[in-house]
Amino acid sequence: MVAQTRRELSALPAAAAPSAAARVRLATTESAPVRWVLIALGLGFILLVIVLPLVSVFLEALRGGIGAFLRAVTEDDTLSAIRLTLLVAAIAVPLNLIFGLAAAWAIAKFDFRGKSLLITLIDLPFSVSPVISGLIYVLLYGAYGWFGPFLKEWDIKFIFNVTGLVLATVFVTFPFIARELIPLMQEQGRDEEEAAISLGANGWRTFLYVTLPNVAWGLLYGVLLCNARAMGEFGAVSVVSGHIRGLTNTMPLHVEILYNEYDFVGAFAVASLLALLAIVTLVAKSLLEWRYGDRLAAGRRH
Amino acid sequence: MTITVDGISKSFNDFQALKGVELAAARGEFIALLGPSGSGKTTLLRILAGLEFADSGRLLFDGRDVAAQGAGERNVGFVFQHYALFKHMTVAENVSFGLRVKPRAQRPAKAEIDRQVNELLRLVQLDRLGGRYPSQLSGGQRQRVALARALAIQPAVLLLDEPFGALDAKVRKELRRWLRRLHDDMQLTSIFVTHDQEEALELADRIAVMREGRIEQIGTPAEIYHRPATAFVYEFLGNANRLRCRIDRGRAVVAGLELPAPEYPDLHDAAGTAFVRPHDLVIADARQSGLEARVRQVFLAGPAIRVELALLTTGDMLEAEVPHGSDLGSLIVPDKLVTLQPTKIRAFPDAA
Repeated sequence: MVAQTRRELSALPAAAAPSAAARVRLATTESAPVRWVLIALGLGFILLVIVLPLVSVFLEALRGGIGAFLRAVTEDDTLSAIRLTLLVAAIAVPLNLIFGLAAAWAIAKFDFRGKSLLITLIDLPFSVSPVISGLIYVLLYGAYGWFGPFLKEWDIKFIFNVTGLVLATVFVTFPFIARELIPLMQEQGRDEEEAAISLGANGWRTFLYVTLPNVAWGLLYGVLLCNARAMGEFGAVSVVSGHIRGLTNTMPLHVEILYNEYDFVGAFAVASLLALLAIVTLVAKSLLEWRYGDRLAAGRRH
Repeated sequence: MTITVDGISKSFNDFQALKGVELAAARGEFIALLGPSGSGKTTLLRILAGLEFADSGRLLFDGRDVAAQGAGERNVGFVFQHYALFKHMTVAENVSFGLRVKPRAQRPAKAEIDRQVNELLRLVQLDRLGGRYPSQLSGGQRQRVALARALAIQPAVLLLDEPFGALDAKVRKELRRWLRRLHDDMQLTSIFVTHDQEEALELADRIAVMREGRIEQIGTPAEIYHRPATAFVYEFLGNANRLRCRIDRGRAVVAGLELPAPEYPDLHDAAGTAFVRPHDLVIADARQSGLEARVRQVFLAGPAIRVELALLTTGDMLEAEVPHGSDLGSLIVPDKLVTLQPTKIRAFPDAA
């Protein structure tokens, strides 16, 4: 919608007769020098902070040639790090999909005591440093933590294995889906749900046919963001992982290990895979938006 | 279906939205709930639909107590103020929704659903728009989709919340007549909420005027308009001039002028307010007997000439209406001194 409007606006001066060009200008437009300075500032910033670092990751990864790159990414420890990262994301993202959807649904469509407290709690992982989130789990479930003796007795291990990694990742990525959905659902209100119920739909069908399709795009966007963060999470995962190579090392942790061992090609090769995952995520989102943009707009319009 | 509302009350936190409402709708009746915002009319409608539940009181459909039933079990068609169409569904999918979500045993076959949807779309004159999305329709078209969707479940009761509120004046008038015909043809019992007195007067068999959670008066449009029970009803149903008066043995005395108030033969010199509609105020030249007033402004546009006058005794502003083409041309000019003769007043004693 916004992009479309912008295109229409920028098409305006071009469509006007040349003689009137000087006067046909949007009231909100600045003079030419101001515009150029602002555009240059913006582009320069994006170039320095986003584009250059991203390009350099790929350049560094390929510095030793394609062969070295391939050797680095097919090394056993690297492959196991990739597998672990995908596994953690594959567990953490669906869990947060369910939690986030449930939380957003409860907050946006119902009134209850402690609602604002719940919203604050959902935001907590955003405001707490990921390292602390990791530490909390070690303190609670580690061998010397509160529940340590109890867990040891039953031979349950949370820390320094996949369970701990998943827990820490779920915690850190919890707000992404809920935060994406809450404003969307609140804006949509309860009218459509009430209409569905008055037409005889039960709660489950109402949710499935009315609530869910109305937030499908927000949900997809939230899932993509959540997934990107789940695969890239470093701090919390670092604390609970124990950095056991081939066992509890995720891709971001593996990058750090390789870098500390002065294996720059290896480090950047794995980093470039992570960057590639992020780029694929964004491209997928853009493609979906482009392909189904009409329905997206139809869903958002009133 | 007959509807009986028996002493229904409802509170939201500290706010008492309904205070023991009584209402009975006969089969086939078209009833308007008329009142200002905050009078409880929408709350009452939502309680009838099962979207809100009363704190106390009984609600009977055909003598059956439905107070405990949910919205889906009551078989009530509800048309929302802003239509609440399903944005991600086409018009046809919207209309068929109520049929598609029925339990499998009661659900009609796909072909039967299609047939019914086409019939409904024809009924609301949207037969070629079944494939459109709500965002591609005009306000009036959306309104009719909302109606078709509500009618798809073959309700015996149709409830409408400000059904014409979001439409422009011309479309509103057309839809009003169309809705009335539809109600008669389908033999529905309908209740609609409005704050527009003209809409209520034109459309309804009976009007319930609501104020602060109570029904102030219920009656036919003619009864409500010509015999308002309270000052509030009188003022709500059209323009009204207020005049302070004393009510004394069947007469109202306004600034020395005695007018008949036969409703109160037994009151003795009680303070009250007399109401006069603008078209019941006759302007005459200053030599005649009546209320002395000075013309302030004259508005020539509109169906009648509107004249604003100030009473000489109190300075109160009054409004009178004069038909176009009357021979009062020389009198209705600003600053002219004239007299006013109310041909019809309605006095109400002050609440004790």
